[in-house]
Amino acid sequence: MTRANVIDGLRNGALLGIVTIFLCLTGFVFVIAGVLNEAFARGDQASILGVLLALTLIGLWGGSRVPRRSGADGWLGVAIGGIFSGLVSGALVALFALIAGYNVDAGVNLRQYLIALSPDVVHALTLNLGTMSGALALFGLMLGANLIGSVFGLALSQRQIFKSAWDKWSQTRTALSELPALTSLRTHPAGRFVSYILLVLVIAFLPLVLNQAQNYTLGTIAIYVLLGLGLNIVVGLAGLLDLGYVAFYAVGAYTVALLTAPAPHHIMWNFWVVLPLGVLLAALAGVMLGVPVLRLRGDYLAIVTLGFGEIIRILAGSDALIDVVGGPMGITAIPQPQLFGISIGNVQFVYMLVISVALVIFVTSRLQHSRIGRAWVAIREDETVAAAMGISTLRYKLLAFGIGAAFAGLGGVLFAARNQFTNPQDHVLLVSINVLAVVIVGGMGSIPGVILGAFVLKGVPEILREFQDYRIILFGMLLVTMMILRPEGLWPSRRRKLEMHISAQEAAEELPLDPSIGGEVF
Amino acid sequence: MTPILETHQLTKRFGGLTAVNHVDLAVPERSICSVIGPNGAGKTTYFNCITGFYLPDEGEVLFCGESIKGMAPDKIAAKHIARTYQNIRLFAAMTAVENVLVGAHARLRSNAIGAVLHTPGTLREENNALKRALDLLDFVGLAAKSNEVARNLPYGDQRRLEIARALANEPLLLLLDEPTAGMNPNETVVLMHFIQRLRDELNLSILLIEHDMRVVMGISDQVTVLDYGTKIAEGTPEEVRNNPAVIEAYLGRPIEEVRQ
Repeated sequence: MTRANVIDGLRNGALLGIVTIFLCLTGFVFVIAGVLNEAFARGDQASILGVLLALTLIGLWGGSRVPRRSGADGWLGVAIGGIFSGLVSGALVALFALIAGYNVDAGVNLRQYLIALSPDVVHALTLNLGTMSGALALFGLMLGANLIGSVFGLALSQRQIFKSAWDKWSQTRTALSELPALTSLRTHPAGRFVSYILLVLVIAFLPLVLNQAQNYTLGTIAIYVLLGLGLNIVVGLAGLLDLGYVAFYAVGAYTVALLTAPAPHHIMWNFWVVLPLGVLLAALAGVMLGVPVLRLRGDYLAIVTLGFGEIIRILAGSDALIDVVGGPMGITAIPQPQLFGISIGNVQFVYMLVISVALVIFVTSRLQHSRIGRAWVAIREDETVAAAMGISTLRYKLLAFGIGAAFAGLGGVLFAARNQFTNPQDHVLLVSINVLAVVIVGGMGSIPGVILGAFVLKGVPEILREFQDYRIILFGMLLVTMMILRPEGLWPSRRRKLEMHISAQEAAEELPLDPSIGGEVF
Repeated sequence: MTPILETHQLTKRFGGLTAVNHVDLAVPERSICSVIGPNGAGKTTYFNCITGFYLPDEGEVLFCGESIKGMAPDKIAAKHIARTYQNIRLFAAMTAVENVLVGAHARLRSNAIGAVLHTPGTLREENNALKRALDLLDFVGLAAKSNEVARNLPYGDQRRLEIARALANEPLLLLLDEPTAGMNPNETVVLMHFIQRLRDELNLSILLIEHDMRVVMGISDQVTVLDYGTKIAEGTPEEVRNNPAVIEAYLGRPIEEVRQ
């Protein structure tokens, strides 16, 4: 019993030590320290209090993991685990501090190898106590934090504070969702009408309440909703993994840029003529790309579309085509669209985007619940059998590609016209990946899911701005966590919910082997 | 009267292996014809050649006297030919009724514009299709399960749903690839009667791959035996049952003969 506790503690400590050192090496500990400093003390940049708090928090967290393994062995077992976890992690962190401290003292420029380790930072890590005593202090800190964390973790797990709170919350949620007023809002036609009116009113007044920057963010979210809904058709319904989706966005943006801006061509057409043209050209690009590549399946399709997206971006940024498409600097001074003499600025653009989103939602939901939508899902489920049902798979895949591209084109047109400039940097691979993440996080094939996904994925990074460069890391961690805890997405489609529900059931029942196993393919 | 399906000298090779070797076959209208043979005899490959998944290397496939060789699978399905699969291949994440609606795809005309605008024609067609799909589910005894996800259905129900999906195509010719695989004797008997009903009530012609000899001998009007891709016998169940070549293909030759 004790032996097992010791081993568990050693393991936990080793892991914790490595994680802590890694966080120090990337400088992340000092970012947390900075945030904590701001919260608790208006001190200097690399103040010791922040580092102290950050390391204590990490230690407490690490310690609280101990009861997971040795929790059944009671207080003594957990305490032993916590002590050994603290000993190992403390030793590792202290060793790291010693090495870094002596090197800095010897005048080695560590920043040459690890950008985060400036002399200031290393001194802060050793708590400004000097290398040796600082390392010892760190050792003690980790040991204490681990011990307290482990005991505290056991107390929490035994009291089941979290569990009962979670239960209460789910009970409240169920009770709320079954309130007669809410149910009738959802199901009764008049209730639905009322809720739509409420929604429209909220959307109508929201841009007036928000400031410029918030409106800009809202507009960006709306553009991502457009892109997400388009990709949702391609990936979520038809099951075609398109990693070059940004290409169609670029086609839309560059159409409006080239045809309405004074340079490089001075064509200066009216925005309202260019808008449908951009959408059409994007759809055309989708179909033209689709004809050769849609014979490929799965991973191959993903690679080819990824390449296509990059080609479009590189062409847009190339020096050879600088006179045609503006080169790496992009195209500036795209005029603001005018409607009845009113120029459409930031706020008005939010309305325009909302109307576009509403239109796209309408088209998508109508298509989804039709012969066409069924054909797409059938292709996603089993392309071979779909063909045997009389579905012309190539034609329907092209249709999905074309419609998805048209929505992306619409997003691109509105994006370029709103920002009044566009350059190749607006159309990098990351945009495709972000849009794919919007679809997956929101819930594949689900329209409300995509909208929610866009709000979360474009909204959360804004909230995380406090963490500066590390927000992307944090964001990635959030994504990974979400995929583990909720793989079906935040707001899954009805179909997907059923599926997930069933696979959980299957696991519980342990169904007997399918008798068809071992049959010929085809 | 021309047979509903004919193959002349149909051949399919995979590299050096001839999976289907110059097979002649004629399926008369309103009949149940069976194709039997040991494992690997080329039965499923033969089906895939008819339904357009493989392009035959030689020979001809005639449907109602018209060549369908080399046509794409969806074009062949549009000609009222439907099939089921040996290992059930439903659209697992779709509900039962959606599966049947996909099966009716070739019989529907509505396009994207009609679907978005909800034109009267589209709405009418969708309503009729839904009603027909529910009728078909009723016909195969799945009326109560129309909104269940296909993956969630018990094995026997999945088999029946696959047949309902094939029937939604309003087939003249139905190709069934081992429909009784994995069924218990009771279910098998029920399915036998069901297949006979398809011929008698819906006037279908049925081409059947089957391993269960009770089914084959019980309901077939004509039996064809394949071995190593070659047709080795053809006739009524009685004739085939007593054919020495068939017995040899299935059981091997008596040991005395081998020694001689």
